[in-house]
Amino acid sequence: MVTIDLSTLPVRDANEAIRAAAAAGEDIEVVNPDARHHIGVGLVAPVTVHVKGSAGYFCAGLSHGARFEVESNVGWGVGDSMYAGSVVVGGNAGAIAGVALRGGEVVIKGNLGSRAGQVMKAGTLLCCGNASFLAGYMMYGGRIVILGDSGDRVGEDMSGGTIFVGGKVENLGSDAKVVEPTAEDLADIRAFLDRYGIAFGGTFKKIVNAGTKLRYGVNEPISRPLPHPVFSEGETYWNAKVVEDIHAKSLIGRYRIRGYGASKPLPHFGDIALKVDPARLTPTQDALDGVNLAMTLGDRHGAVPLKLSMPVLIAPMSYGALSKSTKMALARASRLAGIVENTGEGGMLPEERAEASQLIYQCLSGRLGWNIHDMLKADALEIYISQGAKPGLGGQLMAKKVTKELAAIRGIPEGIDLRSPSRHPDIMGADDLVIKVEEFREATGYTKPISIKMGAGRVRDDIKIAYKDGFDFVQLDGLQGSTGAASTEVLENVGIPTLAALQEALDGLKDIDAKNDMPIVMMGGIKDGVDAVKALALGASAVAMGTAAIIAGGCISCMQCHVGNCVVGIATQDPEHEARYQTEVQAQAIARFFEVVRRQIAMLTKALGHSDFQQLSRDDLVALTPEAAAITGLPYDPTYRAASAELLTKVA
Amino acid sequence: MCGIAGIFFKTQGSNQILGRALVDMLDGCQHRGPDSTGFALYEDGIEGLRLRFMVAEDDTAALDRIRAALAAHGATLRSEKREGATVVVDVDYSGEIRPFAYAMEHAAKLVSIGSTLDIIKDVGTSHQLDETYRVSEIRGSHGIGHVRLATESDVKPEAAHPFWATGFADVAIVHNGQITNYWKMRRRLEARGFEFRTDNDSELIAVYVADKLARGETLEQALEQSVDDLDGTFSFLVSTKDGIGFAKDRLAAKPMVMYEDDGLVAIASEEVSLNRLFPGKPLATTEPAPGTFRTWSRSI
Repeated sequence: MVTIDLSTLPVRDANEAIRAAAAAGEDIEVVNPDARHHIGVGLVAPVTVHVKGSAGYFCAGLSHGARFEVESNVGWGVGDSMYAGSVVVGGNAGAIAGVALRGGEVVIKGNLGSRAGQVMKAGTLLCCGNASFLAGYMMYGGRIVILGDSGDRVGEDMSGGTIFVGGKVENLGSDAKVVEPTAEDLADIRAFLDRYGIAFGGTFKKIVNAGTKLRYGVNEPISRPLPHPVFSEGETYWNAKVVEDIHAKSLIGRYRIRGYGASKPLPHFGDIALKVDPARLTPTQDALDGVNLAMTLGDRHGAVPLKLSMPVLIAPMSYGALSKSTKMALARASRLAGIVENTGEGGMLPEERAEASQLIYQCLSGRLGWNIHDMLKADALEIYISQGAKPGLGGQLMAKKVTKELAAIRGIPEGIDLRSPSRHPDIMGADDLVIKVEEFREATGYTKPISIKMGAGRVRDDIKIAYKDGFDFVQLDGLQGSTGAASTEVLENVGIPTLAALQEALDGLKDIDAKNDMPIVMMGGIKDGVDAVKALALGASAVAMGTAAIIAGGCISCMQCHVGNCVVGIATQDPEHEARYQTEVQAQAIARFFEVVRRQIAMLTKALGHSDFQQLSRDDLVALTPEAAAITGLPYDPTYRAASAELLTKVA
Repeated sequence: MCGIAGIFFKTQGSNQILGRALVDMLDGCQHRGPDSTGFALYEDGIEGLRLRFMVAEDDTAALDRIRAALAAHGATLRSEKREGATVVVDVDYSGEIRPFAYAMEHAAKLVSIGSTLDIIKDVGTSHQLDETYRVSEIRGSHGIGHVRLATESDVKPEAAHPFWATGFADVAIVHNGQITNYWKMRRRLEARGFEFRTDNDSELIAVYVADKLARGETLEQALEQSVDDLDGTFSFLVSTKDGIGFAKDRLAAKPMVMYEDDGLVAIASEEVSLNRLFPGKPLATTEPAPGTFRTWSRSI
């Protein structure tokens, strides 16, 4: 038994000491915990940890296999994303006990705070006292047992799992119903209670999903889709797409869903020109000679940074929205190009991890496929707050794509229309977010860069929060960003354009004197190296490309990503369709495209008189439209229009 | 975006280690708000009425304006001293508070007015403020405090909490959350002649509660009504000359933990702050239920 005294040892050192003791097979006693956060976070060893007092937030979070015994109370999120093992708490638990539980057992002898078991997937959460409101909120699986009363709206929007209540059920949440427990249910609970020495003589009500909200009622009619280049051309009042849209809505009686991003004219990088003389670009030059494009990203707080051969990343796209074959092609292409891939929502595929030399692992609100093992395998961690295509809304994955394999990695029921929560269970504000970032750093020993992905809403304020909450870089996504599925109203109308988002972010950082101290990776409709150079000159540290990479890898832009029948095998989980996708061929195609991007960035950097892309500046840019000038503050100079057109043909 | 803390000593007479307790509690949750810190202290030994102003080091014009405004309202100066970014002015004044307060507001940035209340707030951490203002030496009966992470407004001393209920002596508030019907509520109060110094939603809660108290409602009634009237996410603490209270929104999106024994009541965003008062001791704490409120006061 090793004793760790938190009155003398900071939590960061204490967690190191706990891991070291656990590695030697020693049990651990933590004295003077005094409700400090992150005790035992990320512990993956079958040892016992006795906490002699109260623990703060995320006690035993992201652990696997350890047994925690907390004498007194715990704060928010006890057992967060725990895979296996147990936590026994002698007192009360704060909000979201057992949040995103993926297995194991959490036993609270006192009362439960609000939203207990939110987005849990498996395992058991037992409360011997009463539970506050929304117990089992959006749970996907597992079992909650409440010996006392259940509080307001128990089981709200649960899509799987069971809740047993021994006391009074105040009322039921939406899409929850009460059924009779089976003899087997009761025997299981009895055995569980016996194991923990808990006496209970009462009976139980069993609460399960009522199945009224798991699927959209009426499917959209199948029609020949307008290809995106046609769809996004200009705006006239009663064009083909408007008419088709009204027809579809008159049939289904709800909003429509599609893939891709905003498809209307918006101020963009095409409205900005480079102050470069096209004559300085000669095709005989070796584009890459004498210009540096390499950079590192993510070491603001001492983590091991990502290393990029050029200031380009692959934008986050999920296994789910995309097929496994496509994710593998993207990962392989990122390795060939010396850049970074991103898991997107829904977990890390082993094949993707193997293909990518550097991989960012994304944590979303539903904690789908989020676990300590993959965190440790990742090269960087990313907290997704929102995305440009649908700021403020959760992801959607239609039932056709929620296959057995996909459901297993995400820990959810198969075949539901999956709507991810719009917000994180444990991030209600900047103050909670800072604790979450700390949890991830504690769990991974402060070695991984942690980034934040955000859509463009109130960027000027949000970027300050990102800075103050200690992120290593920001992935900022404008209105033109694409998605695998979102409602058309949101795609077209919510958020602010990429150009404006970047400028607002830069202004926000300037407000707090942090202009050069927070890298921004800009995305949302960045098509090529020319756009990239403009974004870099404006002030971005790097750019990310999603749609462009997908198109390079065979996408035909039909915008039917959400349906699940992608004819080229990209946005599908159907084996027959996916079989059409040739991973190696498309990986090479994507990598070739990135080499063009590399050459474009290099040529333009040199043509602007620089030897390093980091020398690009606002002085290299002019605005071609009054609108772009107003957004960016760049000088308005339409005379560059002709030169800009000529330049584009040369670097294309 | 912040952390809050409050303490109320039940024992009769005061002379408690108020400052020390709040400095420690706020240090315990400083991670929730590193930009600025503030205290509303109900102190022993304030003579007359205490006014605290934000005045820049070289701003003698502001001092002249303050002195002139005091004279114009028949307030006699007992003492005037500089502390950090503020100037503390003790006066004798027995007239109506609200017009007096507004006049003072127009003279300089007024932090608080009180016969026992003194608000100390500035950019920096709990320990940094303690060094500048010697908060831990202050003894008194009860108080509340706040650590702030600035999101929408600037990092300036005057944007720090606690907020004084402008126009009402001895009422202060600290708040964690966001009031979404801010403008609607503010326009209602403005229509009734109240002035606001900031666009901060916490100032609104302070004025809202103080207005109800001035109209003869009890603190309890004011807090009960606030849970219905205020929209958004909030956990706030309010303090008056006689006591403290809390209110919590129905969403319980902002944390609050409470400890009570025979000697004191302590409330904070996180238990880690409460444990600072009792190092090494497991505490029987409770989490107030969503949509609830409670008050403690010294019965007179």
